Amino acid sequence: MILRYKNYLTQSAVHFVLFGILLLISPTSIATGRIGLVKTYQPVATVIRQGAEINLQVGAEIFEGDTIITNSDGAVGIIFSDGAVLTLGPSGKLIVEDFLFKPAEHNVSFISRVVKGSVAFVSGAIGRISPGSVQFKTPTATLGLRGTKILIEVD
Amino acid sequence: MIIRILFLAFIGSLITACCSTGTTVVLIPDAGGKVGQVAVTTKAGSTVLTKANESAEAEQAEQAPTQAVQLSDKKINDMFAETLAKEPTPPEHFRFYFETGNADLLAEANAELAKAKAAIQARKSCDLSVIGHADRVGDNEMNRGISMKRAGMVAKALIDIGITKECMDIRYYGENDPAIPTADNVDEPRNRRVEVEIR
Repeated sequence: MILRYKNYLTQSAVHFVLFGILLLISPTSIATGRIGLVKTYQPVATVIRQGAEINLQVGAEIFEGDTIITNSDGAVGIIFSDGAVLTLGPSGKLIVEDFLFKPAEHNVSFISRVVKGSVAFVSGAIGRISPGSVQFKTPTATLGLRGTKILIEVD
Repeated sequence: MIIRILFLAFIGSLITACCSTGTTVVLIPDAGGKVGQVAVTTKAGSTVLTKANESAEAEQAEQAPTQAVQLSDKKINDMFAETLAKEPTPPEHFRFYFETGNADLLAEANAELAKAKAAIQARKSCDLSVIGHADRVGDNEMNRGISMKRAGMVAKALIDIGITKECMDIRYYGENDPAIPTADNVDEPRNRRVEVEIR
C-alpha cells in the first residue's frame, strides 16, 4: 500500500514536470515566428519588413519575407532556427521568401532569392531532413542544394 | 579610326561589366569537411556540382550554365574574402541518449550537460534549441510523445544548472529526423536522443 502510494507520488511528480514542460514548449514555438538571429554585423546592413527599413545589429531578429540589404561596406551573418548559417557580403540584397520548419509534420522549406552580392550558406536541419527543400533563386538560375556549404556570387 | 574602335570596345566592356547579372556558384567543404551537392539550373539546362571547390556560372537565364570547373582555394578566397570574414561561428551540438521507451537521463548526461553549459557561456548565447527524437520502435504517435518527454527532461536539466528557459526553443520530432535512417520498428540507440543546438 505504501509502495503504491509512493509510486503514485512519483507518477504525479512526473506528470507535473511534463505539464510544466508543455507550458514551456507552446509559447516559444507559436508566438514569436522569428526564423533567425543576426550573429555578425558590419555596418551598414538593414532589413525591409512590411515596407519599413530597419537597421540590423547583432541579436536582431529575422522573419520570413524579410529583404536583407548591405551597403558597400556592410555584411551580416545570420543563424536560422534550423541551424543553417547564411552570410551576406557587401553590396548585397537577399530575400528570405519561404522558411517553413515543422519537421514533426514533415513540412520544411527554405527558399531565398539572391538579387545581388555574395552569399556563403551552410544548410541546417531543413537540408538534412528534406534534401532538395533548400533553394536559392538568382536572376539567371535556381540552385538546389543537397547539403551543405555553397558560395554564391550574383553581379 | 583605331582610337574610335578601341573606345567602342572599352565602352562595350564597361557595359558588360556593369550590367551582367551572372550567377557564380561554388561548392566547398563545410566546417566538418563534408562536401554536399548543388544543382545549378537555368531555363536551358543544369550543371550539378559534386566535388569540393567545383564551380559553375549561369550568365543568362536562357543559356545553359557552364560545365563544372574546379577552382583553387586562393581563387575562392579572393572572390569571397569579405563575405567569409563575417561568417558566424557554426552552431555547436550536444547529444543525450536514452533507453528504449524511456525519457530518463543516463548517468553520462551530466558531463554532456556541463559541456553544453560551458559552450552556451563561451558564446554568450541566448539562442538554443532542445530537440527530442525517437527511434522507429512503436507507432508514430507514441514516438512523438516519448520524444516530447525526452526534450522536456533535457530542457529541465539545463534549467536546473542555470540556463535561462527563455533562451530555449523546445521541440520534438518523433521518428521523423533520425540520425541513422532505419526501417520501421528497428531498435536504434543512436536515434533515441535529444540534440541541443547552441547557436
